[in-house]
Amino acid sequence: MNTRPFDPSVIFTTMPDLLSYLSVTLLVAVTSIILGSLFGMILAQAKMGTHRIPRWLAHGYTYIMRCTPSIVLLFIVFYGLPKLVEVFTSYDMNDVNRAVFAIITFTLLFGAYISEVFRAAYQAVPKGQYEAAVSIGLTPFQAFYQVMLPQAAVIALPNFGNSVINLLKEGALAYTIGLIDLIGKANLIIAQNFGAYGIEIYLSCMIIYWLMTTLLAKGFLALEAHLDKGQTLQAGQMKRSRILPLFKTTPALIKKFQRQG
Amino acid sequence: MELDYTFMADTFFKIWSGIGTTLSLTVLSLLIAAPVAFYMAVLRIRGNSVGSGLTQAYISFVRGTPIVLQILLLYSLLPSFLNMLVKSMGSNFNVFDSIDPFWYAVVVFSLNTIALLAEVFRSALLSIPKGQLEAGVSIGLSEFQTYRKIIIPQAMVVALPAICNITVNLIKGTSLAFLMTVKDVLAIGKIAASYGYNYIESYLDVFLVYIIVCTIVQLLYKFAEQHVGAFRAA
Repeated sequence: MNTRPFDPSVIFTTMPDLLSYLSVTLLVAVTSIILGSLFGMILAQAKMGTHRIPRWLAHGYTYIMRCTPSIVLLFIVFYGLPKLVEVFTSYDMNDVNRAVFAIITFTLLFGAYISEVFRAAYQAVPKGQYEAAVSIGLTPFQAFYQVMLPQAAVIALPNFGNSVINLLKEGALAYTIGLIDLIGKANLIIAQNFGAYGIEIYLSCMIIYWLMTTLLAKGFLALEAHLDKGQTLQAGQMKRSRILPLFKTTPALIKKFQRQG
Repeated sequence: MELDYTFMADTFFKIWSGIGTTLSLTVLSLLIAAPVAFYMAVLRIRGNSVGSGLTQAYISFVRGTPIVLQILLLYSLLPSFLNMLVKSMGSNFNVFDSIDPFWYAVVVFSLNTIALLAEVFRSALLSIPKGQLEAGVSIGLSEFQTYRKIIIPQAMVVALPAICNITVNLIKGTSLAFLMTVKDVLAIGKIAASYGYNYIESYLDVFLVYIIVCTIVQLLYKFAEQHVGAFRAA
């Protein structure tokens, strides 16, 4: 059996075709990130709250999501949600766009991951900051929005960036429920070629994903460097390459201290 | 929603037969990846610019692309590539029929884990002060001995939580092996479901199995962490 030689030109000739479906992938990812962040904030608040039951529920939820393969959750949502909706309403979900199922799944996942990031970041800001803000006459709401949140956001940024990149990569699974996104389109093209050029077309997808994630990572690093201004007083004297690793290890350090009590 | 509970209970015990595949895939990938990843980590730290650059490019590419794509690519690439290799050696071995897809899965997950572990090992090695190496060499150990007896044991303690994360993610990730027709937990659940369209029951079972397995693995790592980290508490 002779195999067809590898044809690198196909990588580039199919790319425009694939790129036209990038918007679907991005739409799913961005919507999930926005909704998931909101959900994550609620979860983080529940985890730090005084009520025992919400706290317990939020921790349990995060734990379960961390142990669930995203593909299994995707299948559960895709097959289970229409049935669940049918019980409570007579609404038929069979015609609903599959992107909706993907968005729901990734929102659930992202919320769980990001709630831990938010919680760790918020707890990393010294409590004295809040007390000081309230003592000079700010309302608790102002103290949260104007003092705590900006500081926590900077701390959360590296991990937030990581989670965003991970979500973008996990979003690639959406094609398994039949959503025509980047990979869905790639599979369609391969099917149109009767299975030929699979390697080239998948490589093309990989290059697109790699560029996206690399650019995102670079963007987040630049944002970190920008927001880090004024955070560390000696930052100006230290070389940037020395600060960034240090900065990255802070969440790990914080966790360590928390564990020690 | 009417769940078929008897089906659910039956399937729950049935899919445990796939746990062997899932776990052996995980363990094999970790074992294959660990030495290579360690070598890569050392290359990244003290290799020349070419070696360091190449490993960095590899790590960036693997970490920057979804694992589904890596599976799809390698699953279409590896069999024909192997076939070409075998044919060029003049052998009549039939690659397409005689190699279990399990081995392709091992290759994919090993390649993926190498990149993840290399980063973990690198940061763990960097966390050990350089004085440790100097002290070891100054009392007459060779550099290799210093690494083996002083630096690696300390670095492993630092790396353990991250390795735990990688293991759990790998167990979750191997659920994608069903794309390569490997019969792991998810694949068995999927097959059981397709007889009577009991998808939701079956996937809920799979969901439970993964939670149980991941919990056990995390507990084991926690135990190991306490055990090897004992010297730090003193």
